[in-house]
Amino acid sequence: MTAEMAVEIQGLHKSFGRVHALRGLDLAAPVGQVTGFLGPNGSGKTTTIRVLLGLLRSDAGTASLLGGDPWTDAVRLHRDLAYVPGDVTLWPNLTGGETIDILCRLSGPLEPERKRTMLERFDLDPTKKARAYSKGNRQKVALVAALASRAPLLLLDEPTSGLDPIMEAAFQESIREVKAEGRSVLLSSHIFTEVETLADRVVIIREGETVESGTLADLRHLTRTQVTTVLDSGADALAALPGVHDLSTEDGHTSFAVDDDALPAVLAEVARLKPRSLVASPPSLEDLFLRHYDDELAAVHHGGAR
Amino acid sequence: MSTRVDAAARPEQPRRPDHPDRRAPGASRHRPPADGLAGLRASIGFMVRRNRVRLGVWFLVVVGLFAYIARYFGDVFTTQESLDDFAAISDNPGIKALTGLAAAPDTLGGAVWTKIWMTCAVALALGIVFLVTRNGRADEELGRTELLRSRMLGNHARAVAAWTVLATLSLAIGLAVAVASIALGLDPDDAGTTGSWVLGASLAGVGLVALGVGALVGQLASTSRGANALGSIVVVGFYVLRMIGDLGDGALTWASPFGWGQEMAPWGANRWWPFGLMVLLTAVLLAAAWLIEERRDHGAGLLPDRAGRSDAPARYASPLGLALRLQRGPLIGWSIAIVLSAMLFGSVAEEMTDLLDDAGDSMAAILQGAGIDELLGLLAGMIALLTAVFAVQSATQLRADEASGIVEAQLAGALSRTRWALMRLVIPAVGSLVLLAVGGALLGLGYGATIDDSSQTMRLMGAALAYWPAVTVVAGLAVALFGYLPRLAIALSWGAVGALWMVMVIGDALNLPDWALAVLPFSATPTLPAESMDWTPLVVMTIVGVGLAWAGIARFARRDVALS
Ligand SMILES: Nc1ncnc2c1ncn2[C@@H]1O[C@H](COP(=O)(O)OP(=O)(O)O)[C@@H](O)[C@H]1O
Ligand SMILES: [Mg+2]
Repeated sequence: MTAEMAVEIQGLHKSFGRVHALRGLDLAAPVGQVTGFLGPNGSGKTTTIRVLLGLLRSDAGTASLLGGDPWTDAVRLHRDLAYVPGDVTLWPNLTGGETIDILCRLSGPLEPERKRTMLERFDLDPTKKARAYSKGNRQKVALVAALASRAPLLLLDEPTSGLDPIMEAAFQESIREVKAEGRSVLLSSHIFTEVETLADRVVIIREGETVESGTLADLRHLTRTQVTTVLDSGADALAALPGVHDLSTEDGHTSFAVDDDALPAVLAEVARLKPRSLVASPPSLEDLFLRHYDDELAAVHHGGAR
Repeated sequence: MSTRVDAAARPEQPRRPDHPDRRAPGASRHRPPADGLAGLRASIGFMVRRNRVRLGVWFLVVVGLFAYIARYFGDVFTTQESLDDFAAISDNPGIKALTGLAAAPDTLGGAVWTKIWMTCAVALALGIVFLVTRNGRADEELGRTELLRSRMLGNHARAVAAWTVLATLSLAIGLAVAVASIALGLDPDDAGTTGSWVLGASLAGVGLVALGVGALVGQLASTSRGANALGSIVVVGFYVLRMIGDLGDGALTWASPFGWGQEMAPWGANRWWPFGLMVLLTAVLLAAAWLIEERRDHGAGLLPDRAGRSDAPARYASPLGLALRLQRGPLIGWSIAIVLSAMLFGSVAEEMTDLLDDAGDSMAAILQGAGIDELLGLLAGMIALLTAVFAVQSATQLRADEASGIVEAQLAGALSRTRWALMRLVIPAVGSLVLLAVGGALLGLGYGATIDDSSQTMRLMGAALAYWPAVTVVAGLAVALFGYLPRLAIALSWGAVGALWMVMVIGDALNLPDWALAVLPFSATPTLPAESMDWTPLVVMTIVGVGLAWAGIARFARRDVALS
């Protein structure tokens, strides 16, 4: 199993003094897939990635990276790894191009051709000193350095938080290429659409614990589809069908939620009632995510502290 | 494979105070990362590339200073008689306290040693500590090392690269000083070149120990400011230990690596073994740094951060209130440093008077009767110099806050730049006044106690306070530089402090014209209580200092805010 897992973490714990940042986190990222890593600010994504990089020592639990121990085998493992931090700091008096070369040479041969391609794709001027770059441009330096390598595993910590939509598209294109080459990606993010388009699998964490993980289809399968329809009559009868929840009618629009396994039967029944319009939407990743944060959302809406 | 943890199955968010330990019982068993040195060669290249100017500057400062004095003395002391005279004049408590006395003071090499060895040694030690921090803790604190460490870079590679480069710098400086000493003919005619080599080795050894100190404090502190402060305190502590040792029975001299360098006694006993002692101490310090680095988290020091308050008192909204809070650590640190130094100075004054008594009339004659007052004036001057370091550190904080971008958040509020800068400068202005008063008073209290004369407290407090205008000029210069040359301001401000220190220690040998001494703030200040009070320079300096600060603030109000 380990061989097919680029990253495998079980019961990981990490405390900083009194702050218990990771509380038994589980995570698996299969080889050749993009694994989305979702969690709100402060939930422990960066801490997890820094444990995987061998920068932090875990207190308990196991973590393996490309089949090795991230702490003891850090150097060997880093040959096969590229990392983009969420907050990129560079040496102010080196240029972006110099920085990329330094980083690339530290884990493998520099491939000037790939570097040039990526610089063009991300529209980055490599001759500027790092102090003159904006946040987005500093992030591009780290992205170009990571994408110009042929590392089998990419660890990306909110890599697009400073990018504009055009660069976001360039990033998504690059990640698809990486995937096509059979490389693995662990992508921490809180941009749902990005993860939804790119990720094969998703891990959702909360306060240092994994609350949900699996393929997007798996996760959706365990939830309900939201249906809105306009019916001339018979709407009330739907409420009695197995698998239908929360039915309500307003201005002629009937809305309800359906369990996934009951969906075919319910839709057939709706069709029999000759609907004038019908919208059925699978839960978005955002919905899935927010389900785990009901209590915090409530606090936001009531303006109270949690 | 899909695992799903139902939210409902986790009632009340179980919060175990103790996490289950799957690694038990060997959880605390230490597993060192493999290949800790991978990427060392690349790191050395990177370190040299990033520091080439700084490495060159420190090399030139130390070697150039030595070569300059050696040449100058070679021209001045052409007869054995003149060397004997110089040796006799140098044999007094003031020189012993400040620079130490050479083992063979009546040789040309010995004269040069008395004049410049301690200055070179302290400059080298501080330079090495700062360079270690810049290439270690500073980068780690700013998150720059993290990107490198995500590549094939061992956990020790950057540190060991810095150690290698800086050890090489120390040895190169030692070598260059030895060669300069031979070339400038410091060795007595029939003695070979052993003395020059011992001299070079003594400086190299001090550099190595400083490297060890820098490496260790960089592991203990989690910020570069903390590391530099801790490192400087250790270096200054070594200096003070040997100072007290040199004034007393010499025992404390052996507690300080500067003392070990002194005891190598070039042209005297020509001892090599203290060099071995320095190398050994370096090895121990580096080993300790290595062991800590192997065990700690990246970015962490030895102490975890504590949780703080959730609300700020209203006074933090003012630039002064916030600055007082942010500079609380340095303020407390400097107060302690000055209080301790002043008390030490005051208490060793008794031993100095004994020394003077023993020396009898001849010594008093050499010191033109001023004797102890001269020495007290010198000690007051040293307190003033420490105070100037505090004032410059506090004043350069303006530029530091600008460079890091922190100031933007404050200036985005309803706050003018002028007001911001003025309020920030209250700290160096008032702080130095308080430090001088306290330092001078304690010096007087200590000395007065030994000779049973309580009037010394006020007398020496006045002597120290007389330096306030001089301190103001130095701090004002730092503010002017901040206004006009923001990118160079911090380096130039510290350069100015270094130059003042140099003039105080080796002033006469620099052959400065009288007008230059008259305009340099520390030499323009009357050395109370040895000299008589003269208000003119004090008034002029106060005006100059305030004027410089005002010009700097006015310029800052009109120019762009420049990030680093
Ligand atoms: N060096 C540190 N010292 C103390 N607490 C930390 C440190 N690093 C992270 N934390 C805490 O650990 C928790 C997880 O942080 P992090 O992993 O950065 O979250 P995320 O990346 O998901 O936003 C937060 O509560 C954060 O405050
Ligand atoms: Mg994060």
